[in-house]
Formats: sequence, C-alpha cells, structure tokens
Amino acid sequence: MTEDTERSEGTERRFAPDFLTEMFRNPLDAGYAEAASRRARQGPGSPRRRGAGRAARAAVLVATGFLLAVAYQQTVAAQPESARARDGLVADLKNRQAEADQLQQQANTLRDQVNRERETALADTGADTRRIRELEVRAGLDKVRGDGVLVQLTDAPQPVDPVTGQATGKNDGQVLDRDLQDVSNELWREGAEAVAINGERLTSTTTIRTAGSTILVDFKPIVSPYQILAIGPDDLDKRFNASDTGARFRRYGTDFGMGVSVRKRSGLTLPAAPDPQLRFARPVQSASPGPSPTRSALGGH
Amino acid sequence: MFAVLALLVGVALGVVFEPSVPLALQPYLPIAVVAALDAVFGGIRAKLDRIFDDKQFVVSFVSNVLVAALIVYLGDQLGVGTQLSTGVVVVLGVRIFGNVAGIRRHLFRA
Repeated sequence: MTEDTERSEGTERRFAPDFLTEMFRNPLDAGYAEAASRRARQGPGSPRRRGAGRAARAAVLVATGFLLAVAYQQTVAAQPESARARDGLVADLKNRQAEADQLQQQANTLRDQVNRERETALADTGADTRRIRELEVRAGLDKVRGDGVLVQLTDAPQPVDPVTGQATGKNDGQVLDRDLQDVSNELWREGAEAVAINGERLTSTTTIRTAGSTILVDFKPIVSPYQILAIGPDDLDKRFNASDTGARFRRYGTDFGMGVSVRKRSGLTLPAAPDPQLRFARPVQSASPGPSPTRSALGGH
Repeated sequence: MFAVLALLVGVALGVVFEPSVPLALQPYLPIAVVAALDAVFGGIRAKLDRIFDDKQFVVSFVSNVLVAALIVYLGDQLGVGTQLSTGVVVVLGVRIFGNVAGIRRHLFRA
C-alpha cells in the first residue's frame, strides 16, 4: 500500500537530490509509473502502436537471451583455454625433465667408460692413474664414498592467518639460498671433502642461488627438505654443531620453526658433478708436465 | 509466456550460432549482461505492478546497455576501468535486488 502512494507521488518525475537513497527505496524506473498514468489518462494507444511495442519488446528479450548465451559461452570457453595452456606447459616440462634425466644417465655411463678407457690407456704408459682419480674426486668430477654427516634443513610450515585460514605472506623460517651457502661453507671449513645438496655435487664453479621462490643449485631447482650430505672427518657432526653456524641454525629452529637436523651417516655415496664446460679458459701449457706443487698438499691424504 | 519464449529463442540463437566475441568487445560483455538483467527485472516488476510499458522497457534496455558500455569504455581510457565497472555493477546490482524484492512481494506476499 505504501508503495503505491510512493509511486503516485513519483509520477511527477521529481529528481531526488539523494540519488542513492532514492534508488534503494524505489529501484523501479519512474518511467513505468509515468507511462501507466499517461495510459490511464489517454487510454491505450492504437493497435498498430501496440503491435510495434510488442515486436520491440520481443526483440529486446531475444537480444537479452542472446547476450546471456554468448556471455556464458565466453566464460566457459575462457576457462579451459588457460587450463589447457597450463596442462600443455606441465606436460612439456615433464617431458624435458625426463629427457634431461636420460641424458644425465647417458653422460654418467659415458663418463665411466671414458674413465675405464683412460685407465687402461694410462696403465700402458705407466702414468699415475691414482693421482688423476684423486684430483677428479677433489674437483667433484667422480663419485665418492665415505662417512660423514647429513644436515637436513626444512622450511618452517607457512604461518596461517587465524581469522581467514589463509597462508600469510611472510615466512621467517623458510630456507634461503644463503642458508644453504652458509651450511656448505661451514662444512668445507670443518674439513668436508665432498658436499652435495639434494644430489647435486658442489664443485668450485657450483652456484647456489634463488630464482623466484625456488633455490637453484647448479641451475637445477631443488625443494625442501634440503639434504646436505658431506663426507669428512669422523667428528664432522660434532664440529658442525660446535660452530657458530651450527648454533645459528639451532636458533633458527627454535625461533622460526625451521627444521634443522645434523646426523652422522656412514657409507655415503656422493654423485659426480657434471663436467664443467670450459669455453673461455684454456690450460697454460707448461714446459714440464711433471708433478705440480699441489702434489704435496694432496699427498697427505 | 510470450516474453519467456522470446528469451528462449534468444538463448537458442546464441547457442546455435556460437558467435565469437571480438577481443575489443570482451570487457563490455559482463557489464552488458548485468545492464540487460537490470532492464529485464525492472520489466518483470512493472508487469507484476500492472504498469508495464513496451516503450519504457525497450528504452531502458538500450540506454542501460549503452551507458554501461560507455562508462566502461571511458574508464578504460582513463585507466580506472575496473573501478568504474565495479561502480556500474554495484548500482545495477542494487536495482536488481530492489526489483527482485518487489517481484518476491508480488509472488509470495513476503
């Protein structure tokens, strides 16, 4: 009832100063009421006019239906397109990864073969094959076996907003490239002779860095848990724990929830690093290819 | 009945022809849909109020769609397209809700 009175007031098309309030109170176009009152005054229009009106109404409704259908199709079509592109990329990535793994395996077998061939060839000439092997192990170009430690770092669980239940942006307990660098540097300092992070052997040219939110070791992405294996002296774990770095990481564990564990491991096998491609550096041709001065440093082992 | 039939014919046309929307027009599609829905719900409400008028309905549909498109276009040119689109959706949404409330009162007396 109140509606009707309101509407009859609205027939004299007042422009309400408060548009929003007016819209909330009476969302219907004032034109309808106006047209109704005009019809009431003048009677219905001619049949031709009414026929044209019906046709126009039908056209508008057809257009609305068309619009709805098109918009629906557009939305549905847009969805799988992005999903399809993503699936394609994922499949591509997996393919390439498998390919890379296969090539790596091939490289490993070929390297073994080269080593064997070289050893037999060198054995004939009487050269020091043991020294070559030792240098290769030092440089990280050959598999090594021995006792050592496993330092495992895990990202702290992502802090969750207690209200929304969604992950909040900042995670202080996340393992950074710097942490892996610090741990491996400390292991080298405590006498480690071979270090590998998640199966990637560290050499003198290995990089540990961050790209986006992923840590790359020698350009290969690795994810938490980060396992740093090191072959070294028997008390490597104790030495690591006693060091400043060890204390710092224990603090990270208690303060930020980072998972840190240092455990002694025996019978570790560390893989070989890929052959470094020397593209710019050339060996200096020395007159006498005899034993180099580093020999004495190596000989101690 | 006639109105529902016309609407269904429109949907059928859209499904059968499956027109591809040009890229330049894609941002206007959602806004145009909301504007059209506003006009349609206004029409239904007017029908139930027994004050429906063909001319008013057609004019409100055309002007709604055109003004909504114009606002989005203007917003895109000025770099505030998203905000203006939101504004259009809010205003039309409020009107749709109001009109649906009116329809509901007619149909369910509640």
